[in-house]
Amino acid sequence: MLIVENVRKVYRVKEKNGWFSGKWTEVEAVADLSFRMEPGKIIGLLGINGAGKTTTIKMCSTLLTPTSGTITVDGYDAVRHDRLVKSRVNMIAGGERMLYWRLTARENLQYFGSLYGLAGSELRERIQSLLTQVDLLDAADTPVERYSKGMKQRLQIARGLINDPRYLFLDEPTLGLDAPIARQLRKHVKELASERGKAILLTSHYIQEVEELCDEVYIINKGRLVAHDTPAHLTQSLSQQTTLHVEIPALGDTLDHDLRQLALRHGGSLDISLTPEQSWEITLSAKMDLTAPLLSLLAAHQSAVLRLHTKQPTLEDVILHMADRRGA
Amino acid sequence: MYQVAKATFIRNTLVMIRAYALSFVIGHILSGVYTVLFAYFAYQYVFAGQLDAQFARFSGSDDYLSYAILGGAFYAFAVSTLMNVSRSLITELREGTLEALLLTPSARHGYFMGNVLQQMMRTIMEFAVILTVGALFGLTLQQANVWGGIAVWILSTAAFFCQALVLGSLMLRFRDTYITQNTLFVIMAFVSGVTFPIPYLPEWLWPISQIMPLTPALDMFRQCVILGKPLADCLPQLLHLGVLSLIYLVVGAWGIRRMEKRVLETIFG
Repeated sequence: MLIVENVRKVYRVKEKNGWFSGKWTEVEAVADLSFRMEPGKIIGLLGINGAGKTTTIKMCSTLLTPTSGTITVDGYDAVRHDRLVKSRVNMIAGGERMLYWRLTARENLQYFGSLYGLAGSELRERIQSLLTQVDLLDAADTPVERYSKGMKQRLQIARGLINDPRYLFLDEPTLGLDAPIARQLRKHVKELASERGKAILLTSHYIQEVEELCDEVYIINKGRLVAHDTPAHLTQSLSQQTTLHVEIPALGDTLDHDLRQLALRHGGSLDISLTPEQSWEITLSAKMDLTAPLLSLLAAHQSAVLRLHTKQPTLEDVILHMADRRGA
Repeated sequence: MYQVAKATFIRNTLVMIRAYALSFVIGHILSGVYTVLFAYFAYQYVFAGQLDAQFARFSGSDDYLSYAILGGAFYAFAVSTLMNVSRSLITELREGTLEALLLTPSARHGYFMGNVLQQMMRTIMEFAVILTVGALFGLTLQQANVWGGIAVWILSTAAFFCQALVLGSLMLRFRDTYITQNTLFVIMAFVSGVTFPIPYLPEWLWPISQIMPLTPALDMFRQCVILGKPLADCLPQLLHLGVLSLIYLVVGAWGIRRMEKRVLETIFG
């Protein structure tokens, strides 16, 4: 198990003041953060830019040293036993970095495999298996510089798995990828956890990706943990309201009155406005979904419905809500 | 460690062949030829084949062409080794592969050793070209103590490697390669006795020449190759090279570790 306990990371940043002078200031990127990664589970680390997600991943993968707190991987301290930890973890970042473009996919994997102490038939077999998994076998001996973005990203996944890590950190893995390729990658990530028992930590700006993949989500804001739960629970418990948008051709006084009563009964809010097309737009927000009672009411008044749109809260709303609340 | 060194050697060779196979060979041959021609033309047309009496006293021989050609060859060897090793990490940083490298539990000295070995392959080639062309323009090696020369060459590789660690730290610190390396190379060329003996320099520059590993390395190499002396006769220079190597190694290893950390903190901070 990977355990992060009360980890804090402070950067010393020099603010330049002219050519030769400057002032050192401390910036707290991560504060008192704790979480766990367990085999077979995918956890999401979410937050708006500068929340401390990448810093957290870099600390977990031994690239950065925490200012205080501890990170242990299968009982080994990530700072004192960094080599042992490095052999158990790996990281895959979005974009086209972390590969040697002049080498082929096979040569890249051979090189990185050697850096992890793999050799001979073990390395050859693993490379073959990984290239098959990421569907790059046909392009295995083509230099990476001739690869498409999606192919590079798939090779990154193979590189991240070359040491068969127990813990995998995915930092924006589908960044800039086309939808079909991103979907294929998500499927692969899911399989890594469910079929191969990898513990995966994912950061992504694509909230749907997090909702689809993650068993648990940690939301951090300015380096601090602000919420932790399953994506479904987070959207339910922290959601504000369900909002209905209905467009009708005509609005009589009685219907207007009944609509206001409906909103009042459910502690919701109602807004009615005339559209440029001379129809009426009703916006009804409440803690519960009022689609059924609203449609019944409109049917009772024999009102036609030109358009109906329901807006459920998403994980994105939760993150923005959290960030706003903390920022306020 | 050896596995990492071997893997890095293979990786660098593949990259080199794919990146600039033809220009690499031509470039190294030409740089060797230019070194020889510079020495030849300077001696024949600037000095008109005339040397003052002090030269023989300072260098132990009046064979200026051999002196300058070997100086140029050894300088090229020093520069190539320094450049290749010191730029390795900053190149990884620029190409976006540093993180992937630092994520692995591989030994850093294995990585550097791979870089040095690959560099040796290049410099052997360049050295061979210079000696071959040099032979046509007045380089005489009749008295050469070949094994002594090879031993000095190997020891010098280790010394330049140690110096490269310090240079590499500075490059990572300033995120610059061009100004940092070229400043050092120009100073080295001027103060280390590449084309003229150090005593010709003003005395206040002598201490600078003594902190360059190239100075004792080149002196020993000439003693073995031009004068045919055994390596045992070069004990003071050997000691000098050993002490400098040790100092550069300690400072460089500390500096590289520190700068790696600093770079990572700067990138993510």
